[in-house]
Amino acid sequence: MSAIVIRRGTRLREQPVRFTFDGREYLGQVGDSAASALLAAGVRAIGRSIKYRRLRGVVTAGAEEPNALFTVGTAPAVIPNVVASQLAIADGLVLRSQNRWPSLKYDAASVLQAGSGFFGAGFYYKTFIWPSWRTYEKLIRSLAGLGEAPGSCALGPVAVEHLSCDVLIAGAGAAGLAAARAAARAGARVVLCEREPVCGGELEFEAGTIDGRPAADWVTATVAQLPTLGVRLLPGTTLVGGSGGEMIAHTEPGGLPGTNAIFKIRTRAFVIAMGAVERPIAFIDNDRPGVMLLGAAERYLARYGVRVGAELVLFANHDRAYATAGRLAAGGMRISAIVDTRTAAEVGAEPLRAQLGRAGTECLLGHAVLAAEGGATVHGARIASLAAPDRARLIRCDAILVSGGWSPAVHAGLQEGGARRFVAELGGFIAAGQPDWRTSAGAANGRLELGAALADGHAAGVRAASHAGAAGSVGAAPLASGDAVPRLVPFWRSPASLAGEKRQFIDLQNDVTVADVRQSLAEGFVDIEHLKRYTALGFGSDQGRLGGLIGAAVLAEFRGEPLADVGTSRLRPPFHPVTMRSLAGLRVGAALRPARRTPLHDWHAAHGAVLEPMGLWLRPRYYRANGADSFTAGIAEAKRVRTTGGVADGSTLGKIEVAGPDAAAFLDAMYLTKASTIRVGRSKYMVNLREDGMVLDDGIVLRLAAERFIATTGSGHGLHMLSHFEHYRDTQWSGSAVTITDVTEAWAAIVAAGPKSRETLRAVLGADWHDALGRLTHMEFATGRYAGSELTVLRASFSGELAFELHCRPASAVTLWEALVAAGLEPYGLEALDILRVEKGYLVGSEINGQTTPEDLGMDALVRLGNLCVGRELLDRPAFHEASRPRLVGLRAVDGRGRFLAGAQLTIPAAPNRPVGYATSTVYSPTLGEWIGLALVAREHSADGTVLTARDPLRDGDSVVRVVPTVHFDPASERMKS
Amino acid sequence: MTRLVCPFCGPRHLREFEFHKTVAAADAGAFARVYERVASTELSVEHWQHVGGCRGWLEVRRNPSTGDVLEIHLVGGGGEA
Repeated sequence: MSAIVIRRGTRLREQPVRFTFDGREYLGQVGDSAASALLAAGVRAIGRSIKYRRLRGVVTAGAEEPNALFTVGTAPAVIPNVVASQLAIADGLVLRSQNRWPSLKYDAASVLQAGSGFFGAGFYYKTFIWPSWRTYEKLIRSLAGLGEAPGSCALGPVAVEHLSCDVLIAGAGAAGLAAARAAARAGARVVLCEREPVCGGELEFEAGTIDGRPAADWVTATVAQLPTLGVRLLPGTTLVGGSGGEMIAHTEPGGLPGTNAIFKIRTRAFVIAMGAVERPIAFIDNDRPGVMLLGAAERYLARYGVRVGAELVLFANHDRAYATAGRLAAGGMRISAIVDTRTAAEVGAEPLRAQLGRAGTECLLGHAVLAAEGGATVHGARIASLAAPDRARLIRCDAILVSGGWSPAVHAGLQEGGARRFVAELGGFIAAGQPDWRTSAGAANGRLELGAALADGHAAGVRAASHAGAAGSVGAAPLASGDAVPRLVPFWRSPASLAGEKRQFIDLQNDVTVADVRQSLAEGFVDIEHLKRYTALGFGSDQGRLGGLIGAAVLAEFRGEPLADVGTSRLRPPFHPVTMRSLAGLRVGAALRPARRTPLHDWHAAHGAVLEPMGLWLRPRYYRANGADSFTAGIAEAKRVRTTGGVADGSTLGKIEVAGPDAAAFLDAMYLTKASTIRVGRSKYMVNLREDGMVLDDGIVLRLAAERFIATTGSGHGLHMLSHFEHYRDTQWSGSAVTITDVTEAWAAIVAAGPKSRETLRAVLGADWHDALGRLTHMEFATGRYAGSELTVLRASFSGELAFELHCRPASAVTLWEALVAAGLEPYGLEALDILRVEKGYLVGSEINGQTTPEDLGMDALVRLGNLCVGRELLDRPAFHEASRPRLVGLRAVDGRGRFLAGAQLTIPAAPNRPVGYATSTVYSPTLGEWIGLALVAREHSADGTVLTARDPLRDGDSVVRVVPTVHFDPASERMKS
Repeated sequence: MTRLVCPFCGPRHLREFEFHKTVAAADAGAFARVYERVASTELSVEHWQHVGGCRGWLEVRRNPSTGDVLEIHLVGGGGEA
């Protein structure tokens, strides 16, 4: 590391910053980007290319940089693919180059490549086919890919800000500033995003004047004025995507910790003023470090005081190159030659050319750079007259600066799709036929001269404000002078032999060459979208902003058609790489989604419950006091319920109150069986169907009064069932007298089950409840009070034991629960509940999977009752009665010892590889001392006693099982009725 | 299409709404109602629920090709927006 030589540029402060690149320390200045600091330190090669592993250097000064992408940070807080020119350096920043192993200088893959020449598009898929692509895939994939994804996420939190405005303007260059000022003066609320940390765009080094003063002064004055007009200015913020008036912007490339922010902006009107992207010209070895865009060299000089070379050759097809050459020369660089592809008749800028000639610059018209000579960096440019490309000569230089014109930045507008229009004098496309809320302005709209860009921006601002309903007086558009028409004549690539085309690079990031385009066409991939998929042209971090148009132009050349007809490929978000962490924003970890907690949640947590999400709910799976894992604890808890009793938290059950004169008739239509036949004070197990006849949900419906019911639903299904009911209430039943209210959280539910449940309840609930508890028959309920609060006791069982469901108000749930536990009913969780249910053949949940009809689940009797409910009609389709339809059965191991798990596929000996069903729920039954399960098996193989093989190759392997009745335990339900 | 105008609540972000289905012709039978819904590129008649708001069920008529919302009203009539 050498001592720092202080540079002066518009961005820089004379204050050193230390950072490391590939393990070596460098010094930059405050205000430097990573690219400018490395260029200033003389670093030319900053990475290798993705496929050919050629050394690459900085090409641009913008977000469309194809080569200078770094991995930033140290593990685990690393971010790959951060664009160097957009990354402000800071003390201690750690940067690494990409696509090289073991080091940038000695790369293993580039040695492989050197021996075998160049691999064209499709090479890998065509070459590595014996014995199969898979043999090589792992090795090749390890070499492929841009950067390396971090293994874990240790990035800091992201600030997320929601904004709403009338007019959103992307880009604060000449047009964007004019648009913002006009729209704000008209009275619109304006948000202005600028990708760079400072505003002004090209005005940073334009020599023109605006409203009679230097352009840079106009920028300063306007930027100072905007906040007073209420404009929210977001510098250093890139619009990365969005649609239909909701846009997403992001600060800091890559999302560096501490500075990372996401803006979600809702807007009525949108002005795209993102300027234009300078494009290169393809010639042989145009990827060598030292070949750079002309505009980039100018920016590095003006902003950062960096000279990208000492002796330059310029290669361009427009007049602006001469003005830029003058500024570069004034900055201390020697311009050896300006190679201009245009003829004398097409060129303007005579005084400038004469001036440059006097200073020793060769101005060569009708010439082209054929090749960049050199090794790791450029040593010279091989040039020739376009009239005689065979007679080339070498001009020594250490940098070749290229400018092939500018492509309007249509990206933001066309991510949603939309038409493009070709503009001949630009040799590029602008957006056409945009919706009325979206406008392109300035260079993004093809207006390259300053005066036209300002006028266009001003008009776009007025239009956008008026679309949003703000039509105040805005004053005159800014007037500019001193900028001329660039007189561009499109030129895409220099003459080259077929061999030379293999080294004429179009898309540097994806190593796409002119030869690849030729090959793509030869193999029948003729469309621009074909070309993109075949060669990877236009993929990558810049989405083809740099090379996409040249690729299209070369395709047009080979197809012999105008570029206007060939078009460019579809543009997609994001505008530049954004970490997934940033897009997730605050919604990570526990904040990913809301959690619903029961009134007993804190008690569970304090008493060693292991909680499990079920829908949004958290429910106890088991309690640690009963075992080290869910298997052992579940068995202990289930056993206890069968011998003495236990309590479980059922508050997560959905509860929907349906009331009104039409409530009974409405519920009749919602359920497979009738609710209208339920007597007040009684309840019924009921099943819902979907419109197509499949079982939707099951639950118990309580009739509280003649016109008042409570329907309970599965724990995860409450909200869905609510919507389901509301939909029918508002469509087929619209106008009927039914109200539907979600009362899930108005009632806590505690299940007390087991032989001792009745006597324990009597002890806890007291004398008031003594008789009622004795009187209640199965599915009957009573209402009353406990500790001054409402209580409903329903005698119903999901365990096969004598059991009661206690519905109480959430405020008294903990008191009641603790009293029951103190009286000897220990809590049990879902694991035990599943065991108890499977033992009794009750549906656990996976049987209702959207593909089973009531008959599949053995509910033939319910269907025969003939209630015409939603979905009932479609049950009569013949296919639902075929022998191949599934049937719910019980399963047991033939030897009484084998284990089989839910998901195991069931086969018959005649067809060992074609399952006839699968196990839906399996448990180890402590009561029976063996593994038991429920399964869906084709009806033709579902007869009792059928022997099947349960195949589970990834877990337990095969075991032999037997079809048994679904009710494994207490088939006469004597315990439940005791 | 990022917004729907709820007849009760006014313009709201799309994520407050839940799509339910495209609606079949009014005279369709039970089978056709489920399996023979119209998939038009010009006009899609859909049921949405404003689950993040008033929970009202809306009939949304829109052009799927352009994303333009043509008309929204409460299902079962009323509340033209």
